[in-house]
Amino acid sequence: MRRTAYILLSNPLSVIGLLLVGAVFLCAAFAGVISPHPDHAGAVINFAFANQPPSLDYLLGTDVVGRDILTRIIYAYRVALGMALVVLLIAPPIGVTVGLIAGYIGGFVDFALMRITDIFLSIPPLVLALAIMGLLEPTLINAMLAVTAMWWPWYARLVYNITRGEKVEGYVLAAEVIGASKAHIMFREILPNCVPAIVTKMTLDFGFVILIASSLSFLGLGVQAPTPDLGSMVSEGTRYLPDSWWMTVFPGLAIVVAVFGFNLVGDVLRDVLEPD
Amino acid sequence: MTILRRLLWRLGASLIVLAGVSMLIFLIARIIPGDPARIALGPRATEDQVAQMREALNLDEPIVVQYALFMGDLVRGDLGISLYSNRPVMTDLAEYLPASLELVLLSGLMMVALGLPLGAISARYRGRWPDNLLRVITLLAVSAPAFVWAIGLVLVFAYILPLFPITGRLSDTMEIPRLTGFLLVDTLAAGRLDAFASALHHLILPAFALALSGIGQAARLTRSNMIATYDTPAVEMAQAYGFPEGRVARRYAFKPSLIPSLTIIGLDFAALLGNAFLVELIFAWPGLSRYGVGVILQKDLNAIVGTVLIISATFLIANIIVDILVSVLNPRIRLSEDGL
Amino acid sequence: MPTKKYMIMGTALLATAALAAPAAADRILRIDEVAVGEIDPAKATDYADTILAINLYDTLVYPNQGGSGVQPHLATEWAIDGSAYIFTLRDDVTFNSGNPLTAADVVYSFERMMALGQGNSSLFDGVVDSVEATGDNTVVFNLSSPFAPFLATLVRMPIVDMATVQANEVDGDWASSWMSQNSAGSGPYVIVSHDPQTETVLAYEPDYFLEPVDGYPETVRMSYGLEPATVRALMGRGEHDISSQWMPPEVYAGLAEDGATLVTEAGLTGEYFKLNTQRPPLDDVHCRRALAYAFDYATMAQLTQINDDTSTGVPMSGAIPMGMVGFDPDLPVFAQDMALAQAELEQCAYDPAENPLDVVFIAETPARERGALMMQAIYSQLGFDVEITRTPWALLTEQVTAPPTAPHVVEIAIGAASPDTDSLLYAMYHSSQPPTWISSSYYANPELDALLDQGRVETDPSARQEIYAKANAILAEAVPDIFAYELQSPFAVREGVTYHNLADPSRTYPTAGFNMRFADVSVPESE
Repeated sequence: MRRTAYILLSNPLSVIGLLLVGAVFLCAAFAGVISPHPDHAGAVINFAFANQPPSLDYLLGTDVVGRDILTRIIYAYRVALGMALVVLLIAPPIGVTVGLIAGYIGGFVDFALMRITDIFLSIPPLVLALAIMGLLEPTLINAMLAVTAMWWPWYARLVYNITRGEKVEGYVLAAEVIGASKAHIMFREILPNCVPAIVTKMTLDFGFVILIASSLSFLGLGVQAPTPDLGSMVSEGTRYLPDSWWMTVFPGLAIVVAVFGFNLVGDVLRDVLEPD
Repeated sequence: MTILRRLLWRLGASLIVLAGVSMLIFLIARIIPGDPARIALGPRATEDQVAQMREALNLDEPIVVQYALFMGDLVRGDLGISLYSNRPVMTDLAEYLPASLELVLLSGLMMVALGLPLGAISARYRGRWPDNLLRVITLLAVSAPAFVWAIGLVLVFAYILPLFPITGRLSDTMEIPRLTGFLLVDTLAAGRLDAFASALHHLILPAFALALSGIGQAARLTRSNMIATYDTPAVEMAQAYGFPEGRVARRYAFKPSLIPSLTIIGLDFAALLGNAFLVELIFAWPGLSRYGVGVILQKDLNAIVGTVLIISATFLIANIIVDILVSVLNPRIRLSEDGL
Repeated sequence: MPTKKYMIMGTALLATAALAAPAAADRILRIDEVAVGEIDPAKATDYADTILAINLYDTLVYPNQGGSGVQPHLATEWAIDGSAYIFTLRDDVTFNSGNPLTAADVVYSFERMMALGQGNSSLFDGVVDSVEATGDNTVVFNLSSPFAPFLATLVRMPIVDMATVQANEVDGDWASSWMSQNSAGSGPYVIVSHDPQTETVLAYEPDYFLEPVDGYPETVRMSYGLEPATVRALMGRGEHDISSQWMPPEVYAGLAEDGATLVTEAGLTGEYFKLNTQRPPLDDVHCRRALAYAFDYATMAQLTQINDDTSTGVPMSGAIPMGMVGFDPDLPVFAQDMALAQAELEQCAYDPAENPLDVVFIAETPARERGALMMQAIYSQLGFDVEITRTPWALLTEQVTAPPTAPHVVEIAIGAASPDTDSLLYAMYHSSQPPTWISSSYYANPELDALLDQGRVETDPSARQEIYAKANAILAEAVPDIFAYELQSPFAVREGVTYHNLADPSRTYPTAGFNMRFADVSVPESE
């Protein structure tokens, strides 16, 4: 643990990453304090100041109803992080369980579970999410469900592959010899060996969930107005290109900054946790 | 396991997956709210007309019966009529799939052609400034969704500096007889170099936008795989013999690391078709993805199922090809029986 | 144009591009619409389909240029005998195939449309008993009962070439699949190629029976689904001629600054905020009136303002758009009055604090979020908690079929299907209508029903004016909808191109879409 922290802090790239991630988390946590116009996160209309280019009053300009874009980006981080947290709380346990069972038990269970996984993997993620979103009311919770539905198979694959390698290792065979239960072997013996890979993937996924969620809301699915959301800000802004470029460019950059931060950290973390 | 047996095994497993996909998407498409007949006929249609169309579409049958009827038609190569375009779904797919595939293929090419060398350079100069610079750049490339890249590229290279066309696949004034639907092929077949140039010109920007994150991914993979091989005895030996660094990099580090990189790149490549969605929307690219969004919003059941099946099938086929290619290139790779 | 695009490129491409210079594709008109374009006139429903139908096909009558009602088109004259309509056809019209257009084609066209049961066929459903050709050039429609709007409705029945259609029939499909790729009409244009989600290309047909304007386009390219930013850039490059009407106001303003001309089409279309009269608290007329009085018409007008000269909306004085039967130019337009709103609210049986309102705007038209936000801001002053939902179209069409749970407020534009008031009011407010988005206020009032039924039977114009004026007054009192503004659909026209029918009010046809007759647009020779 201490070694991991040391490496993260001594690598300039991960330090930058940590700073970016920290900034994003701070924005989300203290949006009300940091943002210049906290009321603009809601249903404020201010047509007199609509379509303003960046200025001292509105550092990143205003949108078509006159709301401060900087404020809305800060609040949108809250939604984005919330989404990523929820998805990464739900998807990995499902995927890990499926992967462990399929990998360890083998045989028909393996075949059936992994084909189901393949089905989810071979439907294009956006199509799957669109279909699920079409099925349900387009709310944030349902967007989270949709993203979760397309996310767990990746964890299933990852853990499955590790488990298949681990199950012939000495310590597993030893546990079997002394008659440990299957559940014990899977969750107590094999799972700990999967943890580094899972943690690394989760760090990297933090960014990717934000990407996918923004793609969904780019299509109009997900967070509801007037709650700010990065993907829908970009999508709404594209209608006003190239004149009102700030409506698209800054929310787009905001996505890149957040995801870049998580990727930097995840990258270094991977080198530390999986040094193969 | 021989390659042939493996191929058969993979085909069989893929068919099972496809059958599962068809069931899943068939079910999902039918529980999406909205009466397809009412949406297609519009609000002024009478209840009788709606009922008539529901009957014609078998919408009042139990879902199992609907599925059986659908599969029966599918076996005969008929995916039904699209309510969105009023044409057979097969006609639509035949028209739009090549446009998407052409885009995806060029993107895939860019991924390999740019990603591998960048990764190799990074590994070669590991820890020094070219490596650090490239790492940051490639990581940035992965950190933005394709639609952000697409918008950025359009903004800079189409609006501000009008270097590239904004929409379509070919200059308005050119008519090319349709053979394959792949314009790069059709234009050459027609002996029209000017049209080929125009088609390529239209392709570059969307393909690059779609490829960017793949390029980054490929470069990062190549780098880490090459670094891993740098640490093997063969490379250390070569370095000890004092071989020139360039030769060590090319011969001893790059080549062996190629195969694992290619495997993952192959998978990424197969995923491109799904990711092309938003890029196609932004470039008004007349491909499958635009069609897909249109049919989902219209709740066009036949077309939704048809589109998803064709994308999934393409994905599975691409996977099999990659898999077979890799095992042909390097028979020593342990052939595991598991799926994708 | 196409060569210009290549100028800045590398020399290799430049060299090949020079070869690409076309053999001067003379005069071309490039427009755009939302996907998808349907060219089978029996399946036409939306604006894009209307444009295609009127350019590929002709109808017996056409909306009256510069006025209201209809004017002769294929039919030179008609007589009404009770519920029989007897039309005399022009004898000089031939289809693009060379076949003469006769009464038999009219009968066939009607039968085909009704048999397919799609598109505009519902407008005639239950109205027509039989159609017969009583001569080469006379055709009789026998109505099942008197139906005054019948003539106006005929603008939605394009005539197809029976011989050509029948030759392409497969398994009794009325040539349904062939007609989705080809045209078989008498119109001024024919299909060159058609891809319903990408582009339709049409070519002028020199034998057309009406004269085109000077500089009419020989080729027309109609693209589908272009982003506003794309249209903006294409027009800047001189690669696009007339925009669609679906872009946000800011984009038109930008185009106008760059030299484009803005024209608007008063297409008998209202922008309505449909109020759910079946769901508390809006089942109480006082609550509905409170919302209508509080509505900020001035801000709404400001939102529709493109620039000093052009606006996409004019205030309404009732449910009926300008120029239609029953419209009264002397009525005052609606205006915000918070005091009256408060007074009405006090008479309402429901407490706003306990009755949140759920306001929906259509996800596919994000510009409408502004109207929803405005409602949220204003109605919170009345004490209502307003929740906004961005709902995809497919989901909304489902929600509105269940009045008890359908949204409280939906903002939607509804246009008249024909130049007759009946086609608008009956579909929106007659209690016999099934619950759809058009009828989504679910208003039921026997007195109004009686008037609307009467309007269908009465043929005397002044009596009809009175009937619909009464209906209008009832609607203004009962507030089933907030009548936000009458849509003036904007179009940006590139410098050098003239959209005569909209540029000159005396040439305007009074129904949405019917102005875009390509042969009435002047375009410059291509460079």
